[in-house]
Amino acid sequence: MNRDVRRSATRGLVASSTLGALIVAGSRNLDHFDAALVAYTFSILFATFGLTYRYSMWLSRPPTALYWRRGWQAFFRRGLLIRHAGQLLSRIGLDVLGNRFIVRRGQLRGLTHLLIMWGCIIAVAITFPLVFGWLHFSPVPGDLTRYEAVVFGFRAFRFPHDSTLAFFLFHGLVWASFLVIAGVMLAMRRRMREGGAAALQRFAEDFMPLVLLFAVSVTGLMLTASYTWMKGYGFTFISILHAVTVIGTFLWLPFGKFFHVFQRPAQLGVGFYKDVGRLEEKAHCRRCGHAFTSRMHVLDLIEVERKLGYRYEIAAGEVEHYQWICPPCRRASFVMAQGLLWRGHRGGSSLPCAEALLPMPTFANRGLGEGPLDSEDAENFHP
Amino acid sequence: MPVPETFEFFIDAGRCIGCQSCIQACAECDTHKGQSMIQLDYVDRARSTQTLPVVCMHCDSPTCAEVCPADAIKRTEDGVVQTARKPRCIACNNCVLACPFGVPKMNTRMNLMMKCDMCHDRTSVGLKPMCASVCPSQALAFGTREEMAKLRPRSKPVNTFQFGAQTIRTKVNVMVPADAQREFVDVTAAMHEPTIGHEVLDDVFGAEVRA
Amino acid sequence: MSDAHHSSAGEPAAATRAPGLELDMIREFGPFRAYASDVRIDSGVTPDKRVKTHCCFCGQQCGLELKVKDNTIIGIEPWYDFPFNRGMLCPKGVKRYLQQAHPDRLLHAYEKDASRASGFRKLGYEDAVRRVAEAIARIQREHGRDAFAVLSGASLTTEKAYLMGKFAHLCLGTANIDYNGRLCMVSAGAGNKKAFGVDRAANPWSDILGAEVVLVAGANVAECAPITTNYIWQAREHGAKIIVVDPRITPLARTCDLFLPVKPGRDTALFSGILQLMIENDWIDRAFIEAHTVGFDAVAAQVREWTPERTANVTGVAEKTIRQAAEWWGAAKTSFLLHARGIEHHSHGVQNVLSTINIVLASGRIGRPNCGYATITGQANGQGGREHGQKCDQLPGGRDLANPEHRAYVAEIWGMNADELPQPGVDAYEIMRKAERGEIRGLLSICFNPVVSLPDNNFVRAALEKLDFFVAIDFFMSETARYADVVLPGSLQEEDEGTVTQVEGRIVRIQKAVECPGEAREDWRIIQDIAKALGRERGFTFQNPGQIFDELRVASKGGVCDYSGVTYARIEQNFGVFWPCPSETPPGVPETSPQGTLRLFEPGSWNPVAKGTGPFYFPDGRARFNPTPYVGPAEDVDENYPIILTTGRVVSQFLSGNQTRRIGPLVDHYPEPRVEIHPQLALRLGISDGDWTLVESRRGNCTLRASVVKTIRPDTIFIPYHWGGRKSANQLTISAQDPISKIPEFKVCAVRVVKAPGQPEYAALLQPQQ
Ligand code: SF4
Ligand code: SF4
Ligand code: SF4
Repeated sequence: MNRDVRRSATRGLVASSTLGALIVAGSRNLDHFDAALVAYTFSILFATFGLTYRYSMWLSRPPTALYWRRGWQAFFRRGLLIRHAGQLLSRIGLDVLGNRFIVRRGQLRGLTHLLIMWGCIIAVAITFPLVFGWLHFSPVPGDLTRYEAVVFGFRAFRFPHDSTLAFFLFHGLVWASFLVIAGVMLAMRRRMREGGAAALQRFAEDFMPLVLLFAVSVTGLMLTASYTWMKGYGFTFISILHAVTVIGTFLWLPFGKFFHVFQRPAQLGVGFYKDVGRLEEKAHCRRCGHAFTSRMHVLDLIEVERKLGYRYEIAAGEVEHYQWICPPCRRASFVMAQGLLWRGHRGGSSLPCAEALLPMPTFANRGLGEGPLDSEDAENFHP
Repeated sequence: MPVPETFEFFIDAGRCIGCQSCIQACAECDTHKGQSMIQLDYVDRARSTQTLPVVCMHCDSPTCAEVCPADAIKRTEDGVVQTARKPRCIACNNCVLACPFGVPKMNTRMNLMMKCDMCHDRTSVGLKPMCASVCPSQALAFGTREEMAKLRPRSKPVNTFQFGAQTIRTKVNVMVPADAQREFVDVTAAMHEPTIGHEVLDDVFGAEVRA
Repeated sequence: MSDAHHSSAGEPAAATRAPGLELDMIREFGPFRAYASDVRIDSGVTPDKRVKTHCCFCGQQCGLELKVKDNTIIGIEPWYDFPFNRGMLCPKGVKRYLQQAHPDRLLHAYEKDASRASGFRKLGYEDAVRRVAEAIARIQREHGRDAFAVLSGASLTTEKAYLMGKFAHLCLGTANIDYNGRLCMVSAGAGNKKAFGVDRAANPWSDILGAEVVLVAGANVAECAPITTNYIWQAREHGAKIIVVDPRITPLARTCDLFLPVKPGRDTALFSGILQLMIENDWIDRAFIEAHTVGFDAVAAQVREWTPERTANVTGVAEKTIRQAAEWWGAAKTSFLLHARGIEHHSHGVQNVLSTINIVLASGRIGRPNCGYATITGQANGQGGREHGQKCDQLPGGRDLANPEHRAYVAEIWGMNADELPQPGVDAYEIMRKAERGEIRGLLSICFNPVVSLPDNNFVRAALEKLDFFVAIDFFMSETARYADVVLPGSLQEEDEGTVTQVEGRIVRIQKAVECPGEAREDWRIIQDIAKALGRERGFTFQNPGQIFDELRVASKGGVCDYSGVTYARIEQNFGVFWPCPSETPPGVPETSPQGTLRLFEPGSWNPVAKGTGPFYFPDGRARFNPTPYVGPAEDVDENYPIILTTGRVVSQFLSGNQTRRIGPLVDHYPEPRVEIHPQLALRLGISDGDWTLVESRRGNCTLRASVVKTIRPDTIFIPYHWGGRKSANQLTISAQDPISKIPEFKVCAVRVVKAPGQPEYAALLQPQQ
């Protein structure tokens, strides 16, 4: 473990120093760097360290390590790379950017997540380059009607300050705040009213992120309100407040729920792993003989379980390892074991089965949602 | 709120009559309305009506959680292993395949593993889980140890299971005969046992008819 | 359902289709499946109220709470305090809420309109009632009072059941009223009256818990009375032995201690054989027989011929198993015998019931704690519905329509001359026969779906088609209502209040949870509206069910089923009240406990028939042994029809399925009827699991998929009967009836079975539940 910690810390340091170097380079030796934003920068640097550290620690867990590796292997699988690249794009579009799977969990839920996610993406896209000094706008000398965008110290383009682009650029954060606030409200509403959510939620895990996002957005809006309509009333105070909330959020990134933003893309790797698995040789349950998942998956799980310290090996017989038993047969074995203990106490006896393999248990109810939840449940284990 | 310690889950699958009340009631639970988390299979319907009601056993060291690459499965301090956390679960199927009791279900369209959470919305406020409330055979029962001892003096609860070389301890108990020799249930030893029931043939033709 | 379903204007009229394939009618009225959606799956919705009431789907009447939001029932919550089921429910109870606010619900009256594809057009409620009244008046004027018949049901509240009897006898003055308990409880009722003089479970279910032996005969407890399972298992936890008599290995039988796979229709032989062994081994309670019964010697003489050998021969149960059963039953100190339709649905159903009662009486184990006997009621109000006068020969309070004293008592309460009270009429199936012969011209049916539930239903259809006028009161367009001239929209159980009497004889309260939708009305209002439109409203001006109940209390007073001491408040305070519960007891007899009379026949107990001479309901206070000569089934197997067909239920469906086939999750549970066949038989017939199988009897045929399972006798096949049309098992069954109880022989008839040449026509046209 110690090695993992050391390695992860090193990676964290490397990542944050790289970012530091990029900031220095991108802002032309801090020429364009706004000193007022230094606190933000440091909190981001810290968050980068934290995120990398945690990501690396996460990757060092046996199951994650294995699937990380396997995911890439599956992706780069010979002959499939082109198809995979296409799928990657479509999955990123539908699932990551479009939140399709969340919409399926509930339309309102999907909307909530889309609002928060896109609000944050817009905000980050606008602020980070500014904070790092990678992007800044300067008035075009001699032309009072236009601005010039400077990217990494290079003049990029010019635009009139009453153009639509300008409007979006300068008010982008306001829009982002509205999206986030709307999303946070919806999320809060759900958490307050739904019995199911109420039972499981935790403050630190589920409310804290919402509170932080809300605080960031609201203080940000207050800033805008202050300089637009109130002649800068309380501007200093509000900007400190805003800075505190933003910095708090960055510092919280590696710890709480926000970390899922970085974990979630693993879903893409899993998708390829499953796709490849479907093409591969199947595992056959050693109790009922039915194909269930891919052989590769079973072997991988056996390896993972060993690394985790589980001892599901079976000494006697041909099963070898419990992982070769499909889930329905696991349920059957479990219940039969209890049933057998009652032999002699209760009526009935074992009804022998002439075939070499036992029949596969079948869902008592095949209705979707009642027996299997979805096609995978239905197909994988009960062909 | 945590589930009160005095209330425990007791399963005696030998009582199950396959009526599917548990399936129907499970889908009424607030945390997963419209979807049933309990597993109920026929062992071998061609030979007997034996059914297998299986809820999450809430393992002390849950294999499902450990093999989860996304850290999505959490065990709360009351010993309940919660269903996958929605933001994290990446639907890799590891838990489904690795759970020694065959409990988790996969909802592919939602990219989400779902499983029994002991009706946390109910048990955490002192109510019984849905399935154990309705189960007409009380194959699924929820209550105190004392109640159980009084109702079923010839049974005792056991919560240790053997899978090959692996021992698993669980929060949920199964009922075994009070005079059972061993304090654990050897699951893999029963792996190749056929279904249990009566044989109609032996008795069907009276002695004279058979002759 | 809206008019949008009328899109298929050009198609031929529905009538040209085979029965059950009236596609346009089905498109308009269902059955369609409802699933929880919108407000019902939104876990953020807080119900406006939670109503403590009971399940509507079987005689056990499990307590439960309905969660109501904006006149919609959004779900259920277990009612943990109700002592009978303590929160337990079977899947029907859990999902019953989906029948309410259902898209198929009839919101208007309808009248037949052959010009429309759906066969019906909407009619204003008032017009519909007027049409009904005019038709009744005309038919009775032209063909006599008895030419208009009434069919009622035992899923109605006791108040409604009482009102239906009163409506037929007082308002219509027809002799011809009967109810669907004719297909259910009558054999047990007749047997109980012959042996005990009263017709109610002798014990509360709590007596099962302490029994040493529980004998279950012809009762698929796990599927038809699921909650009783826990009582039986609980007894087993304390060491009870469980004996099951059934041609199928039901889920309860799977782990019972002794399984007797009786050949359908041979129950009397089996119990005679057991009694013979008990006598032979002196496993009988001579003192009890001596002191409390009459007729033992005749029965003992009659069972002498039932040697174990002969019994085994006839019943198909091995001799050693019969001996074992007799020994366990005979030697037990406490016991409980339960039976249900399995032994009752026979052309000798009463004999079967009496043969079980004989072994109970011989054991002397009745009328004491943990010593009991009961029949398991099937319908929601299977008990209360058979007590208060909707049976063809009955008056309220379990009184007899043929008894002058009883007539006088009730006539006075109803404010009529006893001579005007009709004499006993005919049973439900005979009503159909009379309709077919043209003797009955008009029919009102409520809570009854004979096109699905009566045997030989091709005949039933023909009979209904012959009627001049047929009015059905229903909340859904049942298979039977499809034949009606006018359909009146009635009420669901949760749309009305009242009482029902459950399996133990416990009267429980049904609470109103929601209002009737659209133009639908509470059934009792509809009946009263018809009476009013007929100009015969005297006695039909009740304002609420409570008033009906109060009259019923008076009408039942002094009768065997005495409700006079029962009030709604008393029921609510005590989780139900067991009848008999007289408002006053004679001097020297202690008052009935707040809960009523839990256990019948207790030593020293008083009843209005014995008047203190003994615990049983005969003038001498003694129970009766009844000889039960064995008679085989009306239609036994032969070369042409070599296989026995027996029918029954599945746990997810209720009776004719008019309600449960509209509840999606219950349909998914067991979507369509299947023929259960033992692999031995299947092998001989070349049928494998899932094959389309043609089952033919002398009356009809039916093509269903096979379910090849070893849990049934190889000489018998089983089909559940909850479906209509071409899926109906009752196309095959025989209308032979018990001479005493008039119950039809649903449990045995002869069929032949072959692999079907292909899938039946309905398979491509209908959804599973239709
Ligand atoms: S409710 Fe109970 S008896 Fe019915 S299937 Fe579930 S576990 Fe078995
Ligand atoms: S029983 Fe399975 S799903 Fe439940 S905690 Fe244990 S490993 Fe996880
Ligand atoms: S159908 Fe019967 S057993 Fe099932 S819940 Fe209703 S009353 Fe109870």
